[in-house]
Amino acid sequence: MADTLLEIKDLHAGVADKEILRGLDLTVRKGEVHVILGPNGSGKSTLMNVIMGHPKYQVLSGQVCFEGEDVTEEPTFERARKGIFLSFQTPEEIPGITVENMLRTARQAITGKRERIFGFRKELKAAMEGLQMDPSYAERYLNVGFSGGEKKRTEILQLLMLNPKLALLDETDSGLDVDAVQIVSNGVRQFHNENNACLIITHNTRILDKLRVDKVHVLLNGRIVEEGGPELVDVINREGFTHLQQKA
Amino acid sequence: METKEKTLYSAIPMRTWRWLGVNEAYVPDDIPAADGGEPAGTVLRKTVAAGESRTETLVYRSEQSARVVYEVEAGGTLHLTKVQLLPPDKGHVDALEIHVAEGGEAYVTIAELGASHTVTKVRIDLDGDHAVGDLAAIYLGSGSQRVDLNYVLCQKGRQTRADMQVRGALMGKSEKIFRGTLDFRKGSKGSVGREREEVVLLNEGVRNRSVPLMLSGEDDVDGHHAVSVGKMDQEKLFYVMSRGLDLNEARRLVVEASFQPVLERIADGDLRAEVEQQIEELIADGK
Amino acid sequence: MEDLTKKKTYVADVERTLYDIRDEDRSSYKTAKGLTEDIVRDISAKKEEPEWMLQKRLEALRIYHQMPMPTWGPDISALHMDDIVTYVRPDTKMTGNWKEVPKEIKDTFDRLGIPEAEKTSLAGVGAQYDSEVVYHSIQKELADQGVLYTDFETAVKEYPEIVQEYFMTLIPPTAHKFAALHGAVWSGGSFVYVPEGVHVDIPLQSYFRLNAAGAGQFEHTLIVCEKNSSLHFIEGCSAPKYNVTNLHAGAVELFVKEGARLRYSTIENWSRNMMNLNTKRSFVEKDGVIEWVSGSFGSHVSCLYPASVLHGENAKCEFTGVTFSAKGQDLDTGASVIMLAPHTSANINTRTISKSGGKATYRSAVKVAPAATGAKCLVNCESLMLDNDSRSDTLPVMDIQAADVEIGHEAKIGRISDEAIYYLTSRGIDEKEAQAMIVRGFVEPISKALPLEYAVEMNNLINLELEGTMG
Repeated sequence: MADTLLEIKDLHAGVADKEILRGLDLTVRKGEVHVILGPNGSGKSTLMNVIMGHPKYQVLSGQVCFEGEDVTEEPTFERARKGIFLSFQTPEEIPGITVENMLRTARQAITGKRERIFGFRKELKAAMEGLQMDPSYAERYLNVGFSGGEKKRTEILQLLMLNPKLALLDETDSGLDVDAVQIVSNGVRQFHNENNACLIITHNTRILDKLRVDKVHVLLNGRIVEEGGPELVDVINREGFTHLQQKA
Repeated sequence: METKEKTLYSAIPMRTWRWLGVNEAYVPDDIPAADGGEPAGTVLRKTVAAGESRTETLVYRSEQSARVVYEVEAGGTLHLTKVQLLPPDKGHVDALEIHVAEGGEAYVTIAELGASHTVTKVRIDLDGDHAVGDLAAIYLGSGSQRVDLNYVLCQKGRQTRADMQVRGALMGKSEKIFRGTLDFRKGSKGSVGREREEVVLLNEGVRNRSVPLMLSGEDDVDGHHAVSVGKMDQEKLFYVMSRGLDLNEARRLVVEASFQPVLERIADGDLRAEVEQQIEELIADGK
Repeated sequence: MEDLTKKKTYVADVERTLYDIRDEDRSSYKTAKGLTEDIVRDISAKKEEPEWMLQKRLEALRIYHQMPMPTWGPDISALHMDDIVTYVRPDTKMTGNWKEVPKEIKDTFDRLGIPEAEKTSLAGVGAQYDSEVVYHSIQKELADQGVLYTDFETAVKEYPEIVQEYFMTLIPPTAHKFAALHGAVWSGGSFVYVPEGVHVDIPLQSYFRLNAAGAGQFEHTLIVCEKNSSLHFIEGCSAPKYNVTNLHAGAVELFVKEGARLRYSTIENWSRNMMNLNTKRSFVEKDGVIEWVSGSFGSHVSCLYPASVLHGENAKCEFTGVTFSAKGQDLDTGASVIMLAPHTSANINTRTISKSGGKATYRSAVKVAPAATGAKCLVNCESLMLDNDSRSDTLPVMDIQAADVEIGHEAKIGRISDEAIYYLTSRGIDEKEAQAMIVRGFVEPISKALPLEYAVEMNNLINLELEGTMG
């Protein structure tokens, strides 16, 4: 289909001979918001990293396609340039590289165009204000000495500045207080439109409050065992995953 | 300048400025040499068999000198405790050498408390993949004691783990040199090495020399060392004294707190009590 | 690594005895290319030096013959002093006017970017061509402030009382063999005198260059910052590549008086056959501050450990260094701090990188004298290895003789983390650029301390160094 962004077909993947994803299918179209629920160790983060192409994970069989193109063998940076973005669960601290420097370099890499410093700075400042970030963070080293909440906000800042087609949000709301979840949630809503899509891993439904969720998938032992609409979120919240265990 | 003939006993793996006086250590004057030049004394060679777990204790009370070599075979575990409680007028010299094969583990706990002049060296070679070398030591220098330690953890196998933790306190006019080396050999991929020394200086007049070396011929390693030297934490001291303890008692508590993680590793309860007693008495003396 | 169980019998002080004997032997070996009293007298005569300087040279020469070669550090056995022409004199006279500098030399400087520095009106330029200063200018405002900035030969003639008071007092010929050699054959270099209370706003820059095969360079830099004055001095070095082993044994003596502040920045990029055995020392009085920024990229072998003697109460030292050792290089760098007075403090912050078989050593000494109560010193050194053909060693020594102190030392070693690369590539940055960004980030604390054009130059150097191994 023309508006299909991500299509995962019978994906088996893992780390060093250990199979974590055991036959997974998933399709995400433009304009959609998907949520993945699942207990710890069910393979949620592995899925995100396999979509992003983390070299540590091996795809044993199956395919990851983006906009109709097989990207299973593509290096990470090529996937990013095609429009995939991962908001990390635990963002790396990288000393010596400022937030602004990284973002400008990344945007130039993705668009292939030189960014004029002045215009870029203005845009960055506006985006930071929207996320209620102190503008001085642009000059700070990437995530170094940031609190958990500041790191997550910086991830969303990157999402807004790089404007990908597919945003993978790996527990972007975990460890945040109520206000911070609001801010992050607003950022995601600001990003989302009919031309892009979000794939969200969360333990907390508050981030979903302002988003129209299209589909919910429950991941257990490396397989999707249940799918449904937004109502599934409430079911899982109430009943947990145990009643689904036998399906896995 | 001294011109008396001395016997070189240990040296750091890489030399540096001579004026610092840390390159070499010599055998204390009162220890005689045996044939062949080694200091006279016991020589022990032992093997920890594959898969075996063994606990060994060496206590120096009157014997001044020894050389002890352990071979830890694949998957073997050695827990070795050395406690040195020599009288304050005796010199001490010893060498401890441990070779650890694949998957083997060596846990070494050392307490240097006695002797007028201590010159000691420990070398743990992590020869096999996944070998573990874990060395924890305490020293307490008092009076005019001289303590000279040279510890080397050499990481040769893949994914080895080395840990060196040294806690010390100096009082009186004591002097100490600690040389601690983490040596990552080429091929020791995925290995992790940690070294930490904490020294508390209890009064003016002491001299502390710390020489933490980190050598690497392998890029795929994670090495870290740290040293901190200073007087006692004044806040802690104040807190303890506000509960009615005098300065010496408070110092003892603070030093014991610092030594605790190492003391806890002495499995033999009687021996540990004896070590703690010795620390108490030395600090109570306040010299 | 040595066999620790090996036992040797040592006679303490053995080296000295041996060298006393060797000295007598050596005096009979006099060759045209080697270092003799005649050569030293000739150097002095050609410079038309006063007698006192000649005597200092001859005394240094005597000490040179008595001193042993260093017993530790990188291998410098390739060095044959007898093959090194110690003094090369170019065919031009001293000049204060750029127009009068011969075209050939101007072209050389063009490639070094010196006219650029002039155009951007960055204070004075003292440039050394071979072993003689050929071009020198000082902006008028500096002269008006009473700042003296000349080449060293001029200083010997025009400011003999200042030079005599300080010259080789901080680095006496007895410091080590190459300090003695320097004292005997020094040539060229810079002299800066900043009077009391004067703040020099723009960095003073100096460029050095070796330009003849087999020529040693022995420039002497002497800076005196009087009470409550301040100065930033930048020394930049580059040298073309030659076949013969080249020796650089310069000396830098910095005197920071009460309340004064001096920043001394260097980026060294010597050719890959250079033996860089440079000695730098500073002497800091009460409330004074010395700041070192030191980048070592070039040379075959470097031994460079700027020393700071914190002599007055509350004196401070900040040392920031980066060393990049690539194929065929053995760069042994670091710092030493001698804390002699109460409440002195020091911060040492270094980064070393090794790749393609390069060897990088961090070496330091922190000495706290009994009088230095309340002293504080923090050392942080990090090493990055880009492959496992390289070596990286860390050898710090702390010698603490006061109890009321806070001394902390921390060092790390490792390679670029795969996770950091993944993070950056997930943002669309390719792997090669991600690695380069991380390396540049690794040395950021140093580039941050440099003036912009030097920071850019350093990043360019890093990019050049990284090419070939990555991608």
